[in-house]
Amino acid sequence: MTNELTNLVVEVMPRFEGYVYPNEATQQPLWGILIVLYPYITGLVAGAFIMASLVRVFNVKALEPVYRLSLLTAFAFLLCAPLPLLFHLGHPERCFEVMMTPHLTSPMAIFGFVYAWYLMAVLLLELWFDYRRDFVAWSESTQGFKGLLYRLFTVGVTDVSDSAVQLDHKIGHILSVVGIPSAFLLHGYVGFIFGSVKANPWWGNVLMPIIFIMSAMVSGIALCVFNYMVLTWIRRKTVDMKCLDVMGMYLFYALVVDTAIEALDWIHRIYSAEEGFRVIQYMAQEKLFYTLSLGQVTCGTLVPLILLGLLQLVRGRVPELARRRMYFTGASLILMGVLAMRWNVVIGGQLFSKSLRGVMGYKMEFAGLEGWVMGAVLLCLPFVVLTVMVKLFLAEHDQR
Amino acid sequence: MKSHLSRRSVIGRISAAVAGVLAAPVAKAAKAVAQKVLVTTDMPKDYHPTQHKWVMAIDANRCIGCGFCAEACKKENHVPEGPYFRTWVERYIITKPKPGSGAARGETLVDCPNGGINGYPEAPVPKEEIQHSFFVPKLCNLCQHSPCVQVCPVGATFDAPDGAVLIDPNYCIGCGFCIQACPYGCRFLSPVTKTAEKCTLCYHRITRGLKPACVEVCPTQARIFGDLKNAKPDDPILQFYQNNLVVALKPHLGTEPRLFYAGIDKEVR
Amino acid sequence: MPPQLFRIFLLAVGIVGAYSVARYFLTPPSFGEYGWYRGAALAELATRDRVYAGKKACEECHSDEYEKLLKHEHKSLACESCHGPGQAHGKDPRKDNIEKSSFAVCLRCHEANPSRPKWHKQIVIKNHYTGSKCTECHVPHSPSEVP
Repeated sequence: MTNELTNLVVEVMPRFEGYVYPNEATQQPLWGILIVLYPYITGLVAGAFIMASLVRVFNVKALEPVYRLSLLTAFAFLLCAPLPLLFHLGHPERCFEVMMTPHLTSPMAIFGFVYAWYLMAVLLLELWFDYRRDFVAWSESTQGFKGLLYRLFTVGVTDVSDSAVQLDHKIGHILSVVGIPSAFLLHGYVGFIFGSVKANPWWGNVLMPIIFIMSAMVSGIALCVFNYMVLTWIRRKTVDMKCLDVMGMYLFYALVVDTAIEALDWIHRIYSAEEGFRVIQYMAQEKLFYTLSLGQVTCGTLVPLILLGLLQLVRGRVPELARRRMYFTGASLILMGVLAMRWNVVIGGQLFSKSLRGVMGYKMEFAGLEGWVMGAVLLCLPFVVLTVMVKLFLAEHDQR
Repeated sequence: MKSHLSRRSVIGRISAAVAGVLAAPVAKAAKAVAQKVLVTTDMPKDYHPTQHKWVMAIDANRCIGCGFCAEACKKENHVPEGPYFRTWVERYIITKPKPGSGAARGETLVDCPNGGINGYPEAPVPKEEIQHSFFVPKLCNLCQHSPCVQVCPVGATFDAPDGAVLIDPNYCIGCGFCIQACPYGCRFLSPVTKTAEKCTLCYHRITRGLKPACVEVCPTQARIFGDLKNAKPDDPILQFYQNNLVVALKPHLGTEPRLFYAGIDKEVR
Repeated sequence: MPPQLFRIFLLAVGIVGAYSVARYFLTPPSFGEYGWYRGAALAELATRDRVYAGKKACEECHSDEYEKLLKHEHKSLACESCHGPGQAHGKDPRKDNIEKSSFAVCLRCHEANPSRPKWHKQIVIKNHYTGSKCTECHVPHSPSEVP
């Protein structure tokens, strides 16, 4: 009796169009908003770090005001990055297995090591060497809990002579150089996780890691612009326009490269029209219309390209207030656009059947592990962490 | 300085170091013994995984779409109710081309109501419009280069020495990567165990000389099962390979399935 | 060595050491026995309980039906194809833990369907019979026999 009822219900209320494999007819796709957020957050980390390395490695002096903020942004977001992964696992209590018996043929297995390396050997060390002199100074002048923290962070080393500080700078430089390929690895392996899945024609192609890295850089720089402007506004200071103009320039050119590579991916897909193309085209047009055509392409790419491009051409003739508004709008739109891009990749790949004959739908739940509330909380959490760090480490008078 | 290096302190430090080095293997051995005592699972007597090579083959010419196999699998392996299947049966209906269209065939309709576990209802098109129609049982393709095994981050899914592709439910972390990587859609995440699950060739049956449940109940021997390392010449599996031209699914992906099909059409993906 | 580098070096050694110790203890004992997985998993997977007993198991008590089945057209069927899972019944033979089979089961295979192969015997039920018991005219264990 129950079987007949189930049979009837399944036939009357299909959650899919066309034919999908029986295992694909689940209510929710296997990888939901949590797996959309993880590449987004690590992308922001990688991009913010690249922004910081522009100062240290490429000696772009104009970006000095955002150097520390970029590093702290990267750090705050990196601390929150494993959370979506942990929550989406069926058995989070077994997560240590990835580090104990990593299966080296799996791109996912390197997560533990790449994350640990990047967190400890690159980001923490670079922050420490940059802040060491300040820690020593602050630990002597601050009382109470904050003072205790600063003393802890000095790790007992109190040598702040000129030669020691020079050594700090040299090591910081080396770490920045090492950090650039590390940042590419941190986010590139995520792109490779998708790019290596030959079973899925939306995911499995060679450009995927490159696209992920480029859009990560774009989103990271946009986040630094966003954070810098918000922080300056909160502290009622004036924005350093030279710094903002240079950030806007890098943002624009990074966006151009990112758009070119993504466009190349689409042009190639449309031109070679392989076996899965028809179902992918249907899925992208019907199921991903809002997030792809409107969200990622129009709002997230075309409008910022125009805004930022205009500013490259006629910067001198645009008044400061208008310029600030355009940068802020551009950066915000890019942040939303890159989130839409992650959504389109992760969810889009699960909205069509591997039988290439059908498409599924996805209605996000509100509460629950893969719901709107969880997504919003995980997106806001890094900003909360960043606020704490800014309070501790980014003194008002020294927005260096 | 000299006061630190008194004989007592040196001997004390060396013995502490030696004890520390010895402690680790002792602790590990103790842990192994405890595991063996608390969790006793032994392989069935006289079964050695390296002495068998199980394989299945499908003769779609013989499948009548009764769905007994899918139903038996659900029951035998306690597969959760809902869109979770370790094996299922698909129906393909290839219609006749529209008169005057110049096409060789009409459209292809594929369906699989509830995995086929209750059999099949009437065809959605009248009999006169059907050019070809057939059933295709689907299950794990027993790939030689399994993409699912390749992508598991912890080593929870693996190629067993005797031919089955298995999942260790006590080690799987439920990340779902293997489910995404399988081109044949034969894996799912169980809502009960929160681990990945798939066809195990009824490992608990074949290690005791029984057949998988789906092979057991199939009325027409559309599913053929055998041990390629111990097959006599009249074994059905050898007869199948001898008498049929076969195809494997999605050969362009390089997975090299060991599951071969006889009697299916190009429309089957 | 400058003090800041020395401290960092100590920390690094400590972290790597802690990781190695953790790995030594937290890797399961049978890991790597046959490959990159827990060898004990094979034994665990092989010791699940069965739900279907297999055709041979029915012969012990039902040898008459078994012999009859093997002599006629339904010889390729298993007892459990029509009668459902038999392991529970085999352990504790009762009338209520095995299915008797019915009209619906016969139709599962024999209802006419254009997708079924032509060699398979099928009937359009409304043209063939309007009752509710195929056993009025057919004997399931020897289908061509007339009761």
